[in-house]
This record gives sequence, structure tokens and C-alpha cells, in this order.
Amino acid sequence: MNRILAFFKKPFVRNYANYLIVGVFTAVFGLLSATGLLKMGTQFLLEQISIAVLLAISLCMVVGFLGELSLGHAGFMCVGAFLGGKLAQALTASMGVAGSNLVVFVFSLLVGGLVAAAFGFMIGLPALRLRGDYLAIVTLAFGEIVRSVVMNLPATLFGGTLGLETPRFSRKYLFIFGFLMVLACLAVTQNLMRSKHGRAIISIKDNEIAARATGIDITKYKLFVFTISSFFAGVAGVLYSYSQSRVQSATFDYNYSIEILVMVVLGGMGSINGSMLAAALITFINVKLQTVLTGNLSVLQNVIYSLILILIVIYRNAPGLKGFREKYNMRTISEKIFKKKQTVAENADTGEEEANND
Amino acid sequence: MDFLTAILNGLSSGGTYAIIAIGYTMVYGIAKMLNFAHGDIIMVGGYAMFTTLLLVNQPIPALAVAIVFCVILGICVERFAYRPLRGSSPLAVLITAIGVSSLLQSLAQIVFGAAPKMPTRLQISGAWTFGELRIAYSTVVTLAVTVVVMSALTVFVKYTKPGRAMVAVSEDRGAAQLMGVNTNAIIAITFAIGSALAAVAAYLMLMKAPSLSNTLGAMPGIKAFTAAVIGGIGSIPGAMLGGILLGVIESVALSIPVLAPFTEAIEFAVLIVILLVKPAGLLGKTRREKV
Amino acid sequence: MKKFLSIVLAVLMVAGCCAALSSCSKDSETIKIGLSGPLTGDAAVYGLGVANAAQMAVDEINEKGGLNGIKLELKAMDDVNDKSKVQNNYAELISWGMQISLGCVTTQPALEFKTLSKEDNVFFMTPSASADAVRAESNGYQMCFADAKQGVAAANYVNTLNLSKIGIFYQSDLDYSTGIRNEFKANLSTGITVVEASFTTQTASNFETQIAQLRECEFIFMPIYYTPAALFMTQAKAETGIKTYYGCDGFDGIESAKGFTISEIPQKITMLTHFNSAATEGAAKTFIDNYTAKYGADTLNQFGASAYDCVYAIFGALKKAVEEGKTVDASTSASDMCEILKAQLNGGYEYTGAVTGTGTVKWTAEGFVNKEALVHVIKEANS
Repeated sequence: MNRILAFFKKPFVRNYANYLIVGVFTAVFGLLSATGLLKMGTQFLLEQISIAVLLAISLCMVVGFLGELSLGHAGFMCVGAFLGGKLAQALTASMGVAGSNLVVFVFSLLVGGLVAAAFGFMIGLPALRLRGDYLAIVTLAFGEIVRSVVMNLPATLFGGTLGLETPRFSRKYLFIFGFLMVLACLAVTQNLMRSKHGRAIISIKDNEIAARATGIDITKYKLFVFTISSFFAGVAGVLYSYSQSRVQSATFDYNYSIEILVMVVLGGMGSINGSMLAAALITFINVKLQTVLTGNLSVLQNVIYSLILILIVIYRNAPGLKGFREKYNMRTISEKIFKKKQTVAENADTGEEEANND
Repeated sequence: MDFLTAILNGLSSGGTYAIIAIGYTMVYGIAKMLNFAHGDIIMVGGYAMFTTLLLVNQPIPALAVAIVFCVILGICVERFAYRPLRGSSPLAVLITAIGVSSLLQSLAQIVFGAAPKMPTRLQISGAWTFGELRIAYSTVVTLAVTVVVMSALTVFVKYTKPGRAMVAVSEDRGAAQLMGVNTNAIIAITFAIGSALAAVAAYLMLMKAPSLSNTLGAMPGIKAFTAAVIGGIGSIPGAMLGGILLGVIESVALSIPVLAPFTEAIEFAVLIVILLVKPAGLLGKTRREKV
Repeated sequence: MKKFLSIVLAVLMVAGCCAALSSCSKDSETIKIGLSGPLTGDAAVYGLGVANAAQMAVDEINEKGGLNGIKLELKAMDDVNDKSKVQNNYAELISWGMQISLGCVTTQPALEFKTLSKEDNVFFMTPSASADAVRAESNGYQMCFADAKQGVAAANYVNTLNLSKIGIFYQSDLDYSTGIRNEFKANLSTGITVVEASFTTQTASNFETQIAQLRECEFIFMPIYYTPAALFMTQAKAETGIKTYYGCDGFDGIESAKGFTISEIPQKITMLTHFNSAATEGAAKTFIDNYTAKYGADTLNQFGASAYDCVYAIFGALKKAVEEGKTVDASTSASDMCEILKAQLNGGYEYTGAVTGTGTVKWTAEGFVNKEALVHVIKEANS
């Protein structure tokens, strides 16, 4: 165990451990799926996890790093899902290829992402003048407008109330591409945040006026982050459209945006790995609750989920529980399990990180 | 004439939005949190009235019970779900509010079942007719209640001690605390007022349209939030103005068949335009940021 | 932090692998029927109606000895009327060992279910997902009338009434409502003037504006569910200009809406339906009595009646197949089951004693149900 921990502590491994884990995870499950050992339910679950993780990382950029509250992430996803889905549908139909055609898939992913990014730019341009909760309500409004307009356009365009019929990618492999997109998003986000631009972005979050005073072009950076974030939301939308036989705009309501926000907040705001983990866990818990509590018990799903949510947030954030948290957090518990004493230096190191997360 | 009728109906639903928005805006001003569970307090108020009606078939006692029940619920929610998080990130509070909202909705389904209830005893139908123009009694009641509530709250905030303490807390919580204001008590009072208004809003909604389900408050909650932002969040007259405006826009859009399906899109588009022109809402104060 | 995360991720991965590889045990001796419907949320009343009634039918059949001694088993899963939850439900049902399905209760989820079930060749007969697109598959059957058929039938009925002006009140974000409305309008005589008003899920709490628009229409066609319909009627109680409401099968259950006193509504209320939840005779009456005794009247509606019929129709078809020498038991695969049932339904199987419709029920090769609809007067106008 010590040796494994030591391996993870090497600087190179430390910085890239998340790629490694996602990569190995994808490879293992990909192999299992290709050989037919994976249950259908697991394949669906993995698809949903990859989409949720992608959404969480991209929203984490806006909420966690830039410090702006966005409640319209599902709106950008909706744009991607419908435009990417429409394109994929038109291309597969006109070229007469199967739903799993890679060229069409990649092309749709790109176009869906780019169109969503364009929307992000267009919304961001005026909206980023607004601060805090005002920005939140404008993004929420944007999401609702997209949803309502898409549904009420002529049925020949986006399918109307029945939704748009989209090609379904083979469920054996879709989640692999989902996780590849997660890796791509991770690469972009992580490298951006570790660069000089990333530090500028974080300085905007910490103190906008001070950042402006040091000559950082705030509008440019805000727009930049917003656009990239929308791009990946759009990509997630196209992935979603490929994971369903139909997309319906009612899916992308403000509750969906809030669900993504919950992942980012529970992940510790500003921690990419935290957001990823929270997204995976929340999706997992939700699907498990859905499949375990059936029939008359299903009404308990929401009760349990909301109780978990409230308790976790209070546990993680309540100032009054700080002492309790330090005594009984996952790390000390896991240390007790591994019976390993950490040196003072390591404590200081991890303590610093925790302070960032809090 | 159709247009005039639409405007009148808009005033009526706008008045309800205004009442909810006032609650929203006060809580936001004092606690600096988006209380997503506010809409669900309305729903709880509706069920409280429904239950009371089963025992005493009179609307007024039902309303009274609902107000008391909602006030207690509001204070409890504040005490157990929000207060422990005071001083931490506002987003954490937002998430607990979402949790509380979904918890209340599921509990309501467990207790009262899924089928919508229709407390028709609360309905006030009938109208005054002036030629082709008809003014429903419910519209008049709504507007009267809205105006009374708004004026009473404005007076309360301006001229009473707890009211002024509220203003102080919303301006600067730390400074208010140093001046001897019991901030916890003030925040609890604000939640109590907000929840009482939610119960009143439940009555106004059911009086016009007696249909009660566990999602009764969800959409009006969001609409009221929008209204509060349009009016300038934190401002009581602003919330009223925003609510009325939103109600009228909604009603006019609904009355034009081609636009009707796009009603939500239109409402939210108006919100965006207003915020772009006046970033702090119609009556909101723009504060200069200091370093 | 990272170290900790990596450990958690590694543990999760191992756990995931184990869970994925663990084989599902299939040793119980029942024929398994799966169902996905909204058991919570806005549409819960319909999903619960279906789940309860289907369970009731299964219990009744089992009490009488099941299919030659083999019992039936039902598993109802919640999809909150959200199509993105269907995949998980479907996968769970398959790994549970589902052999036959009642599909989904509502249309959107049913469309997703249709695609999934086609891949695995699973038979489904939906009690209530009425869009035409649902049956456009070889193994999807409906117990309810398809929307288009209802729209045409309703228009034909209205055409015989010699009206010059009618109102339509519909829900613009509901496929059931828009589907019927479009067909209705397309088949309406050209001489009739139409005044339309609509609402969306988000604006379903108050209909003052729409009532003002429809105030002068004597006859209002409402292809919507009973909850908003009851609200509209309650709010429009004082409107003397409106004489008659006419709805489709979504109206069913309106008399039993909690707190809604239908006698207080002065207008005449009629509907085109296959089930009357106030029936006082026949199979429908027995069903209503049993259901109310077991689950209360809260969730009694045509969705449930239809689900009850689905279970009995499937059971009848299986029984006939067994009589014809086919083997049907707990180990029959879903795909074989599907072929057996399709052969029966396409081969002129008739289901008698239906709770919904009148007389016998048959299916066309496309899965359209073929049964008599009733124009049912729920109440006459108050004089």
C-alpha cells in the first residue's frame, strides 16, 4: 500500500493521476463491454456518468474557477443536443449509414459543440456585465427560452412536442467516446487552469476589482471561459442525443441545470477532480435509487436523495461543524484503515488543498 | 376589449406573483440566499388549507391555519437547513434550499397522494360587468391584498424597530451585529414573514384556480423569482412592480393564440432585456463596488 | 486530496467491475411482466393507476392458479414521465428477467422503450401511450386508441352536430393533446369557425385568460387530461356562453377528481372514450368496485382500466397459445414470448370481457387496437 501511495505522490503522477484513472477505467470497461461481459444497465450507467462528468467539469470552469453562477448549463446542452442531433440524423439518413458511423458522430460532436459555444459567446457578451445572482437568472432565462422555442418550432424542424428522432450510437461503445471527451475536456481545463491564463481567471474570482487593477482583461477572460464551457456542454448534448432514440427539449429544464450545479458544489467548487467524482457518484446514486426503489417505494427516491444532499452540504460546509469535520473526515478515516501515519509536511500540504476546496 | 380583459387577468395573476416575489425579495435581501424552497412553502400552505377545510368548512380559518403552519415551517427550515450554513458559501445554501424543495414535494406526495385535490370551497367566482368588460371579484381581492401587504411591509420596514434592523442586516450584517442587532432573530422573522406571505399567495392562487398538487408552487416560485429580479432584488415595491408586469405579459401572451405556446420564452426574454438595460432591475439600487 | 481521490476511484472501479460481472440469477418460477411509468411527479396519478390495476389483474390471475400453475409477477418502475430514465428501467427489468412488458404509461418514455425493446425483441402492450409513433414497430401494441384515431373520431362526431363555431382548448407542450388537436382540425368540416386557446405545463395553474378567449363558444373541444379540464370547468362555472364540453379519453376520472363537484358545473360534459370510470354495470363496474376497495378512488382512471385489460389480454393470448401446443413457462425467453404473442395477436386473437371499450377487442397487424369507442355523456346540462 505504501508503495502505491508513494507512486501516486510523484509529481508527474500527481498531476496526471486523474487522466490515468479515467483512462484505465475506460480501457477496462471498454474491454469488458467489447467482449460482451458488461450488462446493459452498466453500459447505460456509464454513458450517463460520462455525460454528467463532462457537464460537471465544464460547469466547474464557470462556477468554480470564474466564480460566476450559471443556471443555464442545460440550455447549452439543449442547443448541442438538437443541432448536433439534427445534423447526425440528416447525415445518417442522406448517406445511408448506420447510427454508429464514426465520421458522422465526430462531425456532429464538433458542430454541436461549436454551435453551443457560439450561443455561449452571444449570451456571454451582454450577460457577463451582470453580477452574481443577476447573471444566474439571465442564464436560467436563456435555458428556459431555448427549451420553449425548440419545442414550439415546426415539428419538421426539431420534432415539436414528440421530440427529435436521433441516431443511437451502439451502446457497447458510446460510453468509451464519452470518456474520451471527458479526457479531452480535462486536458483543456486542467492545462488552462495551470497556465498564466488560469491564474488570471482565478484572480477574477477572488477579487475582480484587484484583478482589473493589475491589468487583466476581465471581459475577455470571462467570455473565453464561458464559451469553452458552453462548447463542452454542447458536446455533452450531442453525446446525450446519441444515447437516446429521441431528444425532447423538456428534458433540459432548469432542474437539469441545477442538478449539474449540485455536482459542482458537492465536488468542492473549483476542484476538477471533486466535480468529476461528485458527478459520477450522484449519477450512480440516482440510478441505483431509481432501479432499487420500484413500485410503491419509488416515492422515497426523492426523499432519500434530498436528505443525502442536505446532510452532505451541511456536513461539508457548516462552519459550526469544522472541528467535527477535521476529526472525522474521509482522509483520517482512510488513514486509520491503512494504519499509516502521515508526516507533518504532508499534513500541511493536504491541509492547504483542503482550504482551497472549502 | 379582449386585450383589456387580458390585462385585467394579468393584474390578477401578477398580484399573486407580487406577493410571492415580496417574500422572495425580503429573504434575499436579508439572508443573501436564493430560497428555492419558497415556492414549496406555498404548496404546503395549500395543503394546510385543504386539510383544515376538511375539518372546518370555512376559508378564513383555513387561511389562518395555513399562515400559522407556514410560519412555523419557514422558521424550522431556516433553523435546521439554512442557519447551520450561515457564513459559508452562498452556493452551499442554494443547494440545501434545492434539497428542501424536493424533500417537501416528495413528503407532500407521500402524505396526500398523487392525485390533485380541488378545494372548491376556496373559490371566489363571479364578476362585475360593465358592458363587455368584466372585472372578476378575485382580481379585486388579489389587488387589494397585494397593495395592503406592500404598504404594510413598507411601513414595517421603515418605521418599526425590527423593520429597521432588517434594513441594517441587509446593508451589512457584520456591522448590524456589532450595533447590537440580533441577526439570527431578524433572519428568522424575515423567513416567518416570507412564509406567511407564501400562505397568503396559496390562498390567492386557490381562490382563482382551485387545483392543488405537490408541484403547485414550483413554477410560481420561479416566476416570482424572475419578478423579484425584474423589479430589483431586495426592493419591496420593485417586487410588486415586477410581479404585476410579469403577470400582464404572461396574460397578454397567452391571449394571442400564435404566441401562447411561447409564453415562457417571452417572459424570460423580457427579463433579459430589462436586465441588460437596467442591470440591477427596475427599482434596484446599483451599488458602487469598493475595493 | 488527489491521493485520496485516486484510492476512491480505484475502489469504485473494482466495485463497478464486480457489479458488472456478477451474473443475474433467474431461478424463480414466474412469468415476469415489466412496466415503466410515472409513479412520482406531475403524472404520478396515471402511473400509479396503471401499476395498481396491473398488479390487481396479476393477483387475480395468480389466485385462480395462474397460467396452468405458473404464476405471473409484475415489476413496476418509476420513470417520472422522463424519457431519459427509461433506459435504466429497461436495463433493470431485463436483468430482472422480464419476459413480457406493458411498455410505458406515457408517450415520451414509450417511444424510448419501443426502440430498446425492438433491439431485444421484447413484446410490449402499452395501456396508455397513445401516440401513433408508439405502434410503428412490429412488437409494440396499444390497448388505448391512437391519438390520430381519436382526433378523427372526435371530428366526425362534431361534424354531425351542425355547429358554426367551436372552441378548442389544448396543451401545447403535450404530444397527446397536440396530436389529437392536429387530426381533429384536419378532419373538421370547413364551415366551422375555430377559436383556439392553449396552455403549457408551466401555465396550467390558472385559466382566466383562456376562458376569456373561449367565452363565446357554445361548444368547446378539450383534448386534455382531466386535471386541467376540471380546473377550467371550475373556473368557467359562471360562463353562460359555454354550453357543452367535449373531451377525449383523457377526460376520464373527472367525476372522481378530489373536491371537484361535477354537479356544480352547469354545462353539459361529454367525452369520447373507451372506459367510463362511473360505469354502473358490466365488467367495468366489477373492476371499479375491486379497484376502489383495494387502492381507493384516488388513482382510478382509464389508464388503470386499460392496464388491467392489457394483463388479461396478454394472459388470454398466452393461454390460447398453450392450448395450441406452444410451451410457455418461466424459462421462455423474451424473444420467443414476443413471437408467440405476436402470432396470437396478428392471428385474429380476440379478447373478450374487456373493461375498456365494448364487446371484443382485436388488434390490427400494426398494433392498432380495434374496439368500439363510446360517446359518453358524463353529465347533462343543468337546467
